[in-house]
Amino acid sequence: MFSIQTKNLKKHFDGVYAVDDLSIKIETGQITSIIGPNGSGKTTLINTLSGLLEIDGGLVVIEESEKLSKITPHEIPSFGITRTFQNIHLFEQMTILDNILVVLTDRQVFRAIFETHQTFHLKIAEEVLTRVGLWEKRGQLAVNLSYGQRKLLEIARALAMDAKIYLLDEPFAGLFPEMVKIISGIIKELKQESKTVILIEHDMGLIRELSDYVFVLDSGKLLAEGKPSEVLAKREVIEAYLGE
Amino acid sequence: MAYLIHLLILFAIYGILGLSLNLVMGYTGLLSVTHGAFFGIGAYATAILMTHAGLNFFVALIVGLVLSGVVSFIIGAILSRLSGDYFVLGTVGLNYLIVTVLINWSDLTRGPLGIAGIHKPHFFGLSFSDTPAFLVLSLIFLALTFLVARFVVNSSFGRALKAIREDQKALQVFGYNIFSYKLAIFTISGALAAIAGALFASYITFINPASFDVMQSVFILAVVVLGGLGSLRGSLLGALLLVIIPELLRFVGFPSEIAAQTRQAIYGLLLVVLMLYRPQGLIGEYKL
Amino acid sequence: MNIIPQIVANSLIAGSIYALIALGFNLVYGATRFVNMVPGALAAIGGYTVFFLFNRLGLNIYFSVIAGVVVAGFFGYLSDRLVFRKLRSHKASNLVSFVASLGIFTMLQALISILFTSQFQSVLSVTENPKTYQILGATFTWVQGLIFITSIAAFVSLALILKKTSFGKAVRAVSDDEEVSKIIGINTNRLISWIFFIGSCLIGLSGIFIGFDIGINPTMGLFIILEGATASIIGGIGNVYGGFLGAFLLGFVENFGILKIPGEWKPAIAFGLLILFLIFKPEGIMNKKK
Repeated sequence: MFSIQTKNLKKHFDGVYAVDDLSIKIETGQITSIIGPNGSGKTTLINTLSGLLEIDGGLVVIEESEKLSKITPHEIPSFGITRTFQNIHLFEQMTILDNILVVLTDRQVFRAIFETHQTFHLKIAEEVLTRVGLWEKRGQLAVNLSYGQRKLLEIARALAMDAKIYLLDEPFAGLFPEMVKIISGIIKELKQESKTVILIEHDMGLIRELSDYVFVLDSGKLLAEGKPSEVLAKREVIEAYLGE
Repeated sequence: MAYLIHLLILFAIYGILGLSLNLVMGYTGLLSVTHGAFFGIGAYATAILMTHAGLNFFVALIVGLVLSGVVSFIIGAILSRLSGDYFVLGTVGLNYLIVTVLINWSDLTRGPLGIAGIHKPHFFGLSFSDTPAFLVLSLIFLALTFLVARFVVNSSFGRALKAIREDQKALQVFGYNIFSYKLAIFTISGALAAIAGALFASYITFINPASFDVMQSVFILAVVVLGGLGSLRGSLLGALLLVIIPELLRFVGFPSEIAAQTRQAIYGLLLVVLMLYRPQGLIGEYKL
Repeated sequence: MNIIPQIVANSLIAGSIYALIALGFNLVYGATRFVNMVPGALAAIGGYTVFFLFNRLGLNIYFSVIAGVVVAGFFGYLSDRLVFRKLRSHKASNLVSFVASLGIFTMLQALISILFTSQFQSVLSVTENPKTYQILGATFTWVQGLIFITSIAAFVSLALILKKTSFGKAVRAVSDDEEVSKIIGINTNRLISWIFFIGSCLIGLSGIFIGFDIGINPTMGLFIILEGATASIIGGIGNVYGGFLGAFLLGFVENFGILKIPGEWKPAIAFGLLILFLIFKPEGIMNKKK
């Protein structure tokens, strides 16, 4: 069973292809890493999958049933997809608690006007914020958090979505080891809950430790795929990383 | 005393305008310079319905409120597609356009001459024609507007508005249709501004297009920015200060035309100083 | 009688005035990247300076025009030195800068009203320039001819300055990326102040021409900034060449539009065009899609 497949997916900027005729299949319930040098199209791929960038060609197939050639961003939760951002996107001048509650309450305009958050919303918020160690700070504004805490809040917000597929764009970048531990622990737990995790990462140690399967991108094309130990030993992969 | 009541009525009118603009600007983060137009639509709708159709003030007010809501829905549908600088320019242009309509649709609006002889409200034998009674009515409407605004910002909807202000791109991927949210708050805000318009028309008894031009929008914007973006109490404070401060000029003894212009110069200066030294306003919770 | 040549002439004259506005607006927008309302008020300042020197004091007309241009430029420079430079150093958002510009705009407009009343004033009376010319069936006054020629000259010299001189290269560098140009050693603050000065001179000139052509009043600035912004957006905001093109397009659409629609709805035509472009082609004719 595949949770996400791309079929000849294309995305270009001014004629330069950032994702070039890419066809990959991502297995459900596994941790799949997407690696590649800077500018290889990893983040573009994630942004295209989450509807923030328009698809220029090809298809995205979700759960083997939804064939999509156009994705609007606000639809993606209905496909069971959520994400984090590489360059953190929090609701800065809102409290940590509100950053979570906003992804829990009703999205439909008229119902939302006549709704305030309920005890069960708070309960979920408490659970996810406790998981990343931010519940005690829930009244603070997001803008006042440290870099690492901001990364954790992004993870907590994604967890609150209770999605089937998690797109995590460099969740470990720039973090201290103890925070890396918290997040890698969460990713492993997600796998135990049979969730699908798609991970963009640069740290080879973490990729070996976490991933079940790896796709290597270079200039928007698929360079290699396979189990981490095999893929990372391939010469073309090493060359792509070292820049010839 | 009559003078004080006059100022308090103006405070109530601008308080309503400030509260309604703050929903769009302070909470949703959409810088709008078109509120004078919504104010005008409410005022004209009430004035026309009362003078031409002889409707009761309260009926006219409700019709004006709905009409202004519809117009702001349409305007919102156009503006919600724009962002940043383009949005701001769009709002300035729309205000300009609506004033052009008010000036040129003379059959309905009597053009630049304006509409005179608008009555004070009556309600089942209860008359609000003397100013103390009108003040009470205005304050009741101000309180109602405050309650509606508070209800909106404290709801889940209100939280989503703030999230739009903070990062609308991110909010979308969590399942929010940003467009419909912006549209909804524009409609609510426009409808609330119409209440102020109705009160203004029946209090002054005369309206003309010049009262609802871009400079009026700048004044309402100054109310919100001075009091504080994202703070409802701030809008009340801003309205109070901006109604009172220029009145001090009166005691200096300026001739009336110069006083009016000096007042404008003061709003302008105030906006510049606030942007330089305190962009969140006096008790605001949000920086532009 | 064929009215088309006359409408073409009117379009070209209107377009030349819009072109001056758009040139100034785009120059400043390119360097600062926020919608600035101040130029609207500067147009009025240009017009009123000429009104004061020429009509009130009876000074020489050419001297008055040059003084009007320089005074407008100086106020533009001042707005940058006193306000926008500080906001840049605070790294203020462009909404903050916009609100500040709205404040300055309101203030200047009110000051003009206090000094000169809010009455409409005409700068040149018709009897002083009775001379008209006819080309291909279109009639225009010498002032209108002058407006057209000056606008073309201003555009050509600006284009040459931007292309050929080191100043022009620095301007383009700042417009592309302020941070980078700082790194390569351009004193961006000084440069931006100069851009404000030059842009404001152009806008001031447009205000003077409007004064000659129609007349002036203190609130003329709002119309001017909307026309300028519309022309700029049609052509591609921040793009000096695009703005020039957009200005003439706007002139033609407005003047041919009033064949079908009563003249007092002219602002509505411009604004309708603005909205259409904002929605369907916000990058304009000359800019690449983002």
